[in-house]
Amino acid sequence: MSEPLENRSPAGINAWLHDWATGWNHFWFTPADPLPLAVIRIAAGLLLAWSMAVWLLDVDAFFGEGGWQQPYKVWRSNDQPWQWSWYFAAASPTGTRVLCGITLIAAVLLAIGLATPLAAIVAFAGLVSAVNRAPLNVFGLDDMLGLLLIPLMIGPAGATLSVDSLLFAGRGAAPSVRAAIAIRLVQVQLCIVYLFSGCGKLLGASWWEGTALWGAAANVQYRTLDLTWLARHPLLTNAITLTTLFWEVAYAALVWPRLTRPLVLAMAVAVHLGIGLAMGMMEFGLAMMVANLAFVPATWFRAIVFRRAESSRSDSAHSVSQATLKVVS
Amino acid sequence: MDPRSFWPRWLRIIVSVAIAVYLLAVVLPPLAGPPPASLLANQLIQPFRPFIGAVALGHGYRFFAPNPGPGHSFRWTVQRPDGTHASGTIPDAATDWPRLLYHRRFMLPEKISALVPLPGAPPEVVAEAKREWQPLVKDLAAHLLTREGGSRIKLVLVEHYLPLPEEVIEGRAGEDLAIPLGTYAWPQKGDR
Repeated sequence: MSEPLENRSPAGINAWLHDWATGWNHFWFTPADPLPLAVIRIAAGLLLAWSMAVWLLDVDAFFGEGGWQQPYKVWRSNDQPWQWSWYFAAASPTGTRVLCGITLIAAVLLAIGLATPLAAIVAFAGLVSAVNRAPLNVFGLDDMLGLLLIPLMIGPAGATLSVDSLLFAGRGAAPSVRAAIAIRLVQVQLCIVYLFSGCGKLLGASWWEGTALWGAAANVQYRTLDLTWLARHPLLTNAITLTTLFWEVAYAALVWPRLTRPLVLAMAVAVHLGIGLAMGMMEFGLAMMVANLAFVPATWFRAIVFRRAESSRSDSAHSVSQATLKVVS
Repeated sequence: MDPRSFWPRWLRIIVSVAIAVYLLAVVLPPLAGPPPASLLANQLIQPFRPFIGAVALGHGYRFFAPNPGPGHSFRWTVQRPDGTHASGTIPDAATDWPRLLYHRRFMLPEKISALVPLPGAPPEVVAEAKREWQPLVKDLAAHLLTREGGSRIKLVLVEHYLPLPEEVIEGRAGEDLAIPLGTYAWPQKGDR
């Protein structure tokens, strides 16, 4: 059992502080495989590209001079001069389209991993510009994309599964400290998001009463899957609501131990897939699931991605040898 | 594997400080708002405002909290100079496709509805709130008037009734709540 802090000698306190420093160093500065970061990069890039394509469908209304919100009013209501957006500088519909298109291209480049560091920075600038120009049209998807793009700018996101890694093969995808910091940032941010989301729910009576799920299921504006049959199953509604609440509040604690991590991640998939399918917010659900990938061990990705590649290589080698055999026979 | 062997101490210290500052910038916005929030969090966030604004970290992360409430939409009717009318809703599930486009438009009534008091609120609350929501609604009206070639527009915020489980079982449905947001028109010559 550890000794109470007040009973420790100065040397004991120094040892305790040293333990903290060692733990911190291990957590942030132990080199990590960049493969999970690459998988997150591909998924986040595709999600952002899709999001930008949808912004483009009504780009003048979202970002233009005569849009849902006048740019000068958004500018004034933002926390100026910090909450910038390059759409404030776009003086014409063409300029707005070009800026939106640049973000779309950057997102595609990010997904395929071409000029990855630059693509990540431009994609992030485009996302921030959209969020700060159209604050009445953004929601959790945009929050999560922002939280994913920042670590992607910091870490070696293009080190593997990328065009960059094919073009610059010599650089390799060795474990690195930058990859560790980026993955850790995604993990810690996700814990913060779930903690505040869970704590916010603790303020609501419907979450304690176990009826919050009904509030979501009965809301026609959100509904894409009819779950009103839950009206006849109040205990099931209670169980799902309370499980969701407990999972979200406890996520930051239970996702770290290896024993509970698979359960917590499986629940994340169930919750976010449920929100995506039943409430029509598949992009938000996917963004949350992508962030959860940061907790999947690199060895899993390596087994899935590279075993498949190995097996296809061995298949083709096998067919070559068979072809050779045919010639011999 | 000793992590101290990969980066020099001075670099680890600098990066550690940067990580700590960054994570504070992630934690402070949901602590400082939306209400209820402490005075302490609101004071601590002040030096971080430039960074939070610049990288768009100002989120509350209160998804479906504190309670999943009723949905909202706008109902609009435009009158054109030739006397014809057009009407619609925001969002419109029939035409707003793909779903992400619907959702982005759906956020307009959802966010503005948070500023509009329910009928029966004290007059001073109504007047105070109107100063906040009306500039947003005016922009919305101007956009729709331009898009539809109209001269006058009437806007209504609809709060859709959230039925209780027993009402669904019995096949009953309550009335949606319609909150008028006003009629807006382009200024005529001579108008002040």
